[in-house]
Amino acid sequence: MNSKNIAKMTLAAGAVALAADQASAKTDAAAVDTAIKSLKTYDWGVDIKTLAPIEQAIIDTQKDAAGRKKLEKALADMLASGISRSAQDYVCRRLRTIGTGQSVKALAALLCDEKSSDIARFALGDICCCPTALDAIREALPKVSTKLRPGIIGSLGTHRDKKSVAALTKLMGDKDVLTARAAAHSLGLIGTPDAAKALCGCAGKAPEAIKTSVADAGLICAEQLLADGDKAAAIALYKGLKGDGMPKHVKVAAMKGMLTAASKK
Amino acid sequence: MANQKNEPTKGQGMSLGRRNFLKATAGAAAGAAVLPCFVPGKALGKDGATPASDRIVMGGVGIGNMGRGDQRNFLGRSDVQYVAMCDVKEGTRKGSKATIDKKYKNNDCKTYNDFRELIARTDIDAVHCATPDHWHALVVIEACRNGKDIYCQKPETKTLREGQLMIDAAKRYGRVVSGGSQRVLQDYRRVVNPCWEGKNGKIKSINVKVGPLPMECNKKGENVPNGLDWDMWLGPAPWAPYHPHRCSGSYRINGTCWRSFKDYSGGGMTDWGAHHFGGATFAIDVRELEPNKVTFHNDGGKKYATCHYPNGKLLHHNFPGQGNMHVIGSDEKVEAKPVPKYAGTGGIYGDFIDCVKTRKKPFRDIEFAVHTATVCHLFIIAYQLERSLEWDTVKQQFVNDAEANRLIDYERRTPWVL
Repeated sequence: MNSKNIAKMTLAAGAVALAADQASAKTDAAAVDTAIKSLKTYDWGVDIKTLAPIEQAIIDTQKDAAGRKKLEKALADMLASGISRSAQDYVCRRLRTIGTGQSVKALAALLCDEKSSDIARFALGDICCCPTALDAIREALPKVSTKLRPGIIGSLGTHRDKKSVAALTKLMGDKDVLTARAAAHSLGLIGTPDAAKALCGCAGKAPEAIKTSVADAGLICAEQLLADGDKAAAIALYKGLKGDGMPKHVKVAAMKGMLTAASKK
Repeated sequence: MANQKNEPTKGQGMSLGRRNFLKATAGAAAGAAVLPCFVPGKALGKDGATPASDRIVMGGVGIGNMGRGDQRNFLGRSDVQYVAMCDVKEGTRKGSKATIDKKYKNNDCKTYNDFRELIARTDIDAVHCATPDHWHALVVIEACRNGKDIYCQKPETKTLREGQLMIDAAKRYGRVVSGGSQRVLQDYRRVVNPCWEGKNGKIKSINVKVGPLPMECNKKGENVPNGLDWDMWLGPAPWAPYHPHRCSGSYRINGTCWRSFKDYSGGGMTDWGAHHFGGATFAIDVRELEPNKVTFHNDGGKKYATCHYPNGKLLHHNFPGQGNMHVIGSDEKVEAKPVPKYAGTGGIYGDFIDCVKTRKKPFRDIEFAVHTATVCHLFIIAYQLERSLEWDTVKQQFVNDAEANRLIDYERRTPWVL
């Protein structure tokens, strides 16, 4: 395999470098092994092209489940073996694309470390089609530092994790403003009647620092409820958001939402 | 406009009316306390000047290369009062404030390191954003949820999901949100006009040549320069050590500026793609649509791709043998239709300001802008996966392709959530 050509292709750095001469490039198992082993010494400043065989293997195993699984395991094992932050970053980006349940343990182990948590979530978030990945993120929530919490909370919201509603409701009252804002936002994204209830309860009495986030989350939640056919819950949320003390643009948005809800059968 | 608390806008179904400007010029908290003791005639609209009460109060976020240009354009307008700016580089803040204060002959411009503080000001009507691309969605959505209109530089999005969220936020709050490619209308007239005038018959396809794709960056860390808030520069992007190439705002997409790198941009595919694909979709009149399929081709190593629109029109990328903006039409007779143009005066900036006043949709309304960005992202993902993809425009997901669906968005670095 010509790794120089593969690097050109996968990194696509050249001018409109989409037309290269790598069409026939195929995974060279030995080159892939060497590239994976090189992760042990990989660090910032090392030419990323040295890992090009891994990129090629990802493309070549698209229709080769066994080959893909083997590649994933090798990367997850490398992650668990203790590698540099740069190598972790590289592996997590690949697991984001090809990771499955078999990578969750190695990724979950990084969630509580301030240096690796975000990049582990970067991968886990996209493995959330596998329930254990979402479980791992949820289980990390009470264990992580205040600094890491908003990110974890954001992932739970993005994936509409209904099991997190109780914890997020509590965190909406957290003294850390970023945590409270993220919790409100995620409740909005989750958009269940329970989440709506929590946001309704908070909307009128939210501290100034999180007021905008709670109102915005309420509007998002109402839209979700409406999309799910729960017109009554949506209208109840909108009513709470058009009350006194809300900024004018929120009141107008709530009124608009009520009209939309009312016109919906 | 100033005093929006009491003055509903047309976008909210009510009359625009006159605005109270005084709070705005003096800043958020101190506004009412710093009334000028002498009101110049210009402020009252004499000598053809825009009365202060009718000026749009603006702030800017991200005042690097493009931001400076945008700021200059807004600052030069008599119907804009520019009161605040934000940048994560101290030097930029100082330089920008000096420019603004010089223009108004005062010392009133407030500077911010954190855009949320600027956007939270109740006296500001509209904001422009020219941060690196990975910030755009967060800034635009924050502006909308704080009741601000916003002009956002292109490429407006870094991911597919961001686009939909930005459109949703604009609609939710009835905001005017304009994308920022001035080239779409201005640079491609020789292609756009014949298409709209019916001279190319029924349009079948158009080709765009643009690139490169974004790359990863593994550059070795260097000391963060004094005055740069590196953590804030990175924002939602994965952590990485500082390197001047990572945060250089240079336009050379060759690995020496943020435009080259995946974490901050879609490379040339979005940076120039926002212009070229914007012009192409305008020319063949599919700005209101999203493609529902992208086909990937690899003919003996020559790679190209095509976006397919629901109405049958094709948008090629690097189609062999076709130049940039090459249109394939037909001999069929097609009725001419008027080419859309900017509202107001002053190009795309005037268009935005005019729409802020009238509550009409700007030429590059966020929905059109996102549709263009969507084309760029579909191509990027098809090239990355080296396969054809079906895109469900309603669900905003790829059809039966879990791997592609993983690339619709990314998990942001704490504390940033979308």
